[in-house]
Amino acid sequence: MADADHFDKLKQSIIDQDEDQVLAAVNAALDDGVEAKAIIDQGLLPGLNVIGEQFECEDIFLPELMQAALAFQAAMVILEPKIKEQGAAGEKKGKIVLGTVKGDLHSIGKNILKLLYETSGFEVWDLGIDVDLFQFVDKAKEVDADIIAMSALLTTTLVGQRDVIEALKDQGQRDNFKVIIGGGATTKEWADTIGADGWAASAYEAVTLSAKLVS
Amino acid sequence: MRFVELLSEAEVRRTHEASLEVLETVGILAHFAPAREVFKKHGCTVDDETGLVRFPAAVVEKYRKMAPPSFTFRGRDPQYDRTIPDDGPIVVTGSSAPNVVDPVTGVERRATSTDIANIAHLINELPGFDVFSISTLADDAPEGQFSLSRFYPALKNCLKPVRSNTPNMDDLRQVVELGELIAGGKEAYAQRPIINHHYCPMVSPLTMDVDSTEAVMWLTERGLPVYTTVVPNAGLTSPMTLMGTLVVGNAEFLAITVFQQMVKEGTPVIYASLPTVADMRTGAYAPGAIETGILLAAQAQLAHFYGVPSGGYIGLTNAHSNDAQSGFETGMNTVLGVTAGATLLNMGGLFSSLMAFDFAKAVVDNEIALMDKRAYRGLEFSEENLALDEIAAVGPGGSYMSRKHTKSRMKTTAVLPRLAARDMRQQWEDAGRPTIDDRALAEARRILAQPNEAVWDGELDAKIREHFAGLVAGDATPLEG
Repeated sequence: MADADHFDKLKQSIIDQDEDQVLAAVNAALDDGVEAKAIIDQGLLPGLNVIGEQFECEDIFLPELMQAALAFQAAMVILEPKIKEQGAAGEKKGKIVLGTVKGDLHSIGKNILKLLYETSGFEVWDLGIDVDLFQFVDKAKEVDADIIAMSALLTTTLVGQRDVIEALKDQGQRDNFKVIIGGGATTKEWADTIGADGWAASAYEAVTLSAKLVS
Repeated sequence: MRFVELLSEAEVRRTHEASLEVLETVGILAHFAPAREVFKKHGCTVDDETGLVRFPAAVVEKYRKMAPPSFTFRGRDPQYDRTIPDDGPIVVTGSSAPNVVDPVTGVERRATSTDIANIAHLINELPGFDVFSISTLADDAPEGQFSLSRFYPALKNCLKPVRSNTPNMDDLRQVVELGELIAGGKEAYAQRPIINHHYCPMVSPLTMDVDSTEAVMWLTERGLPVYTTVVPNAGLTSPMTLMGTLVVGNAEFLAITVFQQMVKEGTPVIYASLPTVADMRTGAYAPGAIETGILLAAQAQLAHFYGVPSGGYIGLTNAHSNDAQSGFETGMNTVLGVTAGATLLNMGGLFSSLMAFDFAKAVVDNEIALMDKRAYRGLEFSEENLALDEIAAVGPGGSYMSRKHTKSRMKTTAVLPRLAARDMRQQWEDAGRPTIDDRALAEARRILAQPNEAVWDGELDAKIREHFAGLVAGDATPLEG
């Protein structure tokens, strides 16, 4: 099969949100000697772009977007080691430290965001739920993060987002990181009040926002 | 009145069994170690490494039967005490929104303790509301007084039962201290605990958190009133079927109920919930969707099976103004709830799926609440109400208008709305085409322009302010503009 046919198949399998089909297409391409980086850049990512467009105009729904992203992630498990072998480490768009703030155990939205970040080429350190403010700050310093992304679903835990920004200021670190917030309890106005660099209404928008912030 | 039943008796039983199966085979993740100890001590299988708790069916059956059939909310003035199901349906404001729609500018902004004082005054006066669940947060709270800045203005300005949550144990202890000061001592407070606590310790799916679980355990040990709400969200935290969501929510209700009975036998509970189906186009939260009403109605049926009162956050809306969506979401869902026998409606005053309080929305919801209460009364079947003598006395072709029988019942048979238009179109045009929002806001202004008789005396206030230095003022003020 010609490379172009492989790329079509890879792209289509992502659009079909079919993990088995994606893995089969990846293996077939590798067997034919297509390079791992080309499989991603010319096959899988164009598929994800179509998925993104379909999601934006509600042709597909969130579970379909998630399945496509999960299929992509499964392919990356095979492809990433090969890229490393070839020394052609994929360029990451940026480093994200992600978590749900102190007192809040809600993880589902945050996990959706993590998946979308990873499929969009960001490197993510997920601190999980109920994250203390200093965990955010320390991890961001440790990995030299570009963005700290904080979620809160409960209105009573919102202040945790402000606390992180205040702690960054106290340590003279505020300008070293972009801080974005999201989650059911947050609003754009809250983001402005606490001096965050951005707010997103959904995981999908958070990725677009992050790409803008690091570019 | 006979309640609407969405499930057959066999289906209710099967749903219960399915929930037992989930608790026994899937289990609950309990993050709070002392809670795991309670479960272990009372016959559950606990894996301390993973935090997973499995419940033998017999254990669940034994403890859930200890839950009593009623729950009482107490207010500063005992005439406002309400016990469900007998005094139901009782109507409660929605709670803990971070924002308020400014009644003067119409712009959404962070809520303050002064807003809470005003809302408390308003809810105290609106007859449809029974319990004031503190509608907003207080952005002006001094350091270390996050919850005090909510409970103090609420209790100061409202004689009806006040209900809310606290984010941590320090805040909880502070709030109970406030209650004891108001009651005139620890013992008096134990007799009449006037703060009604509420938490969501169950995080769907099938998880118990740390902070809220600790609060529920502490309050239950002390016999102070506390109830919990389960919040499954189909497609995200529960299966994409209403039945699967019912099962997850029911298993969660059973787990927390059994927990409270293990801590203290005979602890009153409410089967309270906020079940939703996530909007799968975006994942958006949709508490105003009709599926919430359907699920809450089914839960009322399960609660009846368990012999406990039920209800929850029903009648919330995703709408951002007093438009048709706001009305149909609140109205349709609460009607589904009350006709199924739910006696707790957490419905009043919030827009944007619990994000902002609106004074006019609270007044509109007061009117919806009065209609819900009327719907719950149903037809009031009795021989007397068949009015056969009256039908015979008036006869064919007569009129009932000038009859004593009519006069003595004209204020109780039907709801007399203050907001709903009953005039002719020309009258409405002449009045400048007022919207429901205009009429409701005018009513809120009228109420808040009156002095608030509910405020406690200066001596008590001085005592409280001396005890908690730096407390917010907590006074209601007339709405400007």
